[in-house]
Amino acid sequence: MKVVSLKQLVYFCSFLSSFFIVGCQQQDQQIEKSNSDPSTAYSSKYQLNEDEPPFVIEHATILTGTGKRFDDTSILVEKGRIKLIGKNFYVPPAVTRYDADGQWVTPGLIDVHSHLGVYSSPHIESSEDGNEMSSPNTAEVWAEHSVWTQDPGMPLALAGGVTTFQVLPGSANLFGGRGVTLKNVYARSVYDMKFPNAPQSLKMACGENPKRVYGANGTAPSTRMGNVAGYRNAWVKASDYRQEWDEYYLAVEAGDEIQKPERDIQLDTLAEVLRGNILVHNHCYRAEEMLVMIEVAKEFGYQISAFHHAVEAYKVADILAEQNICSAVWADWWGFKHEAFDHVRENAAMLEKASACAIIHSDSEIGIQHLNQEAAKAMAAGNKSGLDLKPKEVISWITSNAAKAIGIDDQTGTIEENKMADIVIWSENPFSVYAKTNKVFIDGRLVYDREDQKKQPTSDFELGILDPAEGRLR
Amino acid sequence: MKSLLSLGRAKYKLFYHYIGLALVAILTSSVTAKDYLIRNATVYTSGQKGVLNNTDVLISDGFIMEVGRQLKSRPSYEVIDATGKFITPGLINAWTQIGLEEISAAEATVDYQTKNKAHSASFNIAPALNLNSTLIPHNKMNGLTRAIVAPSQGEHIFQGSGAAIVLMAKSEEYIKSNLAQFVRYGSEGAELAGGSRASAYLVLHQALSEADFLRNNRRQFTPGKPHQFSMSLQDLDALAPVLERKNPLVVFANRSSDIKTLIDISKEFKLKLVINGGAEAWMLARELALAEIPVILDPLDNVPSAFESLGVKLEGAAILLKAGVKLLFTNRSSHNAYLVRQSAGNAVAYGVSLEEAIKAMSINVAEVFGIESYGKIELGMHADLVIWDGDPLEITSNAERVFIKGHDQLMTSRATRLRDRFWDLRDIQNKAYKK
Repeated sequence: MKVVSLKQLVYFCSFLSSFFIVGCQQQDQQIEKSNSDPSTAYSSKYQLNEDEPPFVIEHATILTGTGKRFDDTSILVEKGRIKLIGKNFYVPPAVTRYDADGQWVTPGLIDVHSHLGVYSSPHIESSEDGNEMSSPNTAEVWAEHSVWTQDPGMPLALAGGVTTFQVLPGSANLFGGRGVTLKNVYARSVYDMKFPNAPQSLKMACGENPKRVYGANGTAPSTRMGNVAGYRNAWVKASDYRQEWDEYYLAVEAGDEIQKPERDIQLDTLAEVLRGNILVHNHCYRAEEMLVMIEVAKEFGYQISAFHHAVEAYKVADILAEQNICSAVWADWWGFKHEAFDHVRENAAMLEKASACAIIHSDSEIGIQHLNQEAAKAMAAGNKSGLDLKPKEVISWITSNAAKAIGIDDQTGTIEENKMADIVIWSENPFSVYAKTNKVFIDGRLVYDREDQKKQPTSDFELGILDPAEGRLR
Repeated sequence: MKSLLSLGRAKYKLFYHYIGLALVAILTSSVTAKDYLIRNATVYTSGQKGVLNNTDVLISDGFIMEVGRQLKSRPSYEVIDATGKFITPGLINAWTQIGLEEISAAEATVDYQTKNKAHSASFNIAPALNLNSTLIPHNKMNGLTRAIVAPSQGEHIFQGSGAAIVLMAKSEEYIKSNLAQFVRYGSEGAELAGGSRASAYLVLHQALSEADFLRNNRRQFTPGKPHQFSMSLQDLDALAPVLERKNPLVVFANRSSDIKTLIDISKEFKLKLVINGGAEAWMLARELALAEIPVILDPLDNVPSAFESLGVKLEGAAILLKAGVKLLFTNRSSHNAYLVRQSAGNAVAYGVSLEEAIKAMSINVAEVFGIESYGKIELGMHADLVIWDGDPLEITSNAERVFIKGHDQLMTSRATRLRDRFWDLRDIQNKAYKK
């Protein structure tokens, strides 16, 4: 879309060039700056549900995601937003009431590391769309261009309370491409799921994967030092590219005539990172490599939003806290690779202990359905080792901290007034293996109800499968 | 002691009366296992007595000597107060590669498959087992005391024979090898056998027919002499225990139509078939129950990850159980094989009773694979048990004490050593010099 509009502009300008040069440049400038303008191509078409009728969840035990727990408390939702949290407020008779006595309420869960829609189920070769493994730098690819919105994993994740997830490209490349944050709603297009006003991300990868995938083919990188050279070379180019374009924009603004630089969609991604518009999500297991990546970020002046997998984050929790870098970790995965050998079950807990930002991620279509259980295990491991972590704190590992890492914490991830009404009602304390979601709301819309099969979405794929009159699971 | 205990079940009662004499025998013997009296626990026996409240368990000479209320203590016993705590048998995971892989992506540490096309059913993983693996202490301290270790992947639908191991780094007595033959059917089997499920059927059927013929005409064939069989004599010989119903044939299959075909084969050859995988097994719950075919499954896996598992769902385990199918749980992990407990907890959340879920990680596995004196908290069984600080299937509960064959296990692993080194990050440079 972007390219088309540029072409159109070129034709338009050639036609009028001798008369309105300045005017054309002004249009040009507008279009270039639209790179991150949400009103143009590739932007979210997700509809907030302002017409949804208001409702109240009453008598719930609420974990807010801000470190607080409220017992026997109510939440009023209006126009897709959390309007009021409190006790004994007046509720007009027309407002729907959900009695959550004995039940728990949390913010909708957020998974910062998913491949739903890009490594879809069933796993067959023709739907392996998550990793463009054709070059160590594929910063030009966008995960959203691969997303199959009918992955049956999405409604399963919804039944597990996941209202938002970030879809990332795979980790074979130094730069895997852009990730995208989605609302977990049934949609025909990825743009109807795309989280409004959420920044895109850049997936980077340390360690074994890039050096194995490319080194095995006799191309760089084949070592960890080769990995780092690869990042630095790319950032050098991206820095120049960014400067070139920034100078161009300034010149245009000043009314100076200057030749327009050549577009490079790979460098676009990296330049947007340097401008702070795209957040870096860096697959990195080992402590040493995380610290090297912090140096690379320092050299080129960007911030790492989160280290993903981060099996050894506990070794450098103090530094990660100081650098304001989140660690998105599993509760207990280890041993599948050498760089995942130094695992401790207390990883997330030790991050919390060091006041670093801990996140539990899934990277799995099973794990994403049970983020609450993964967080519970990680909490229990910490407590067994002497900490006193409580659900009211730990819920942030799968809600507010996750929202922060993907840049949507001003919109969702907590139960606070004026936040999006992304809410889960649980049958009991969600830090139990027996807890199930009872109801899931996204922007105040009831999108999953365990008691009502009509309120349980199925993907197109599942229709008429196994049983033509029913579907996959009924 | 052990010879006494190996007597039949009827003799246990008699034995019970002579417990005093037995204790004298223990005190004078060179056995190092101590005696433990665990007081006042809720005991999930996995046996006929079901769940017992406020119950004591006496461990002596590596065996469970007594289960009852207010058992008499003796000065030599270590008494453990388990008030408010729970006891289960030491758990077993019905399908792992513990001892056959250290780092999955480091080939030099992986021994669960043969890529040598000359071998199939005769591939026996036992000589490759590494009981000093870091996976063993990690799983053990989290409540897993035993595991079925099976071959995985490979180049032939017959993957070879598996073993049962005790999670202790001791000697061969902790391994029971050659206890089942593992086979891949379904799409993977089809691919290996020639591209169709019908090819896999042919290979499987032909091998069983030939093995049956061979074992009845064994003297006509000697190694080294030419023969017309589709597999080597060694591989066909390896199927004899399966045809003699000594060992189960454990077949990986997920699609209901594949499972149906396997039930038919099982009837034809009168096999002790076990379905492994079983994504759509619930669709054939009645047939499986009637044919007394157990199912090894991960009750947490509800992802339709292949076209052959489209029908998989969290309620599958409960449906099978209700129809009378014996369930064996796994989580398809070796490094975290102990997390089979989380899978079991989810089975409970979706309709399986807590008792049955624990049986699927203890006595059911023992019965199907013929592991003796393990799987129940009952008189005469090996003292494999875990004291839990809460509901034994709750993910926030922890194993507090783990006993294997009466030995109190060290609650230390490589992971806990790393945790301890990095728990306090001050003065980190000197940590390398502290043990």
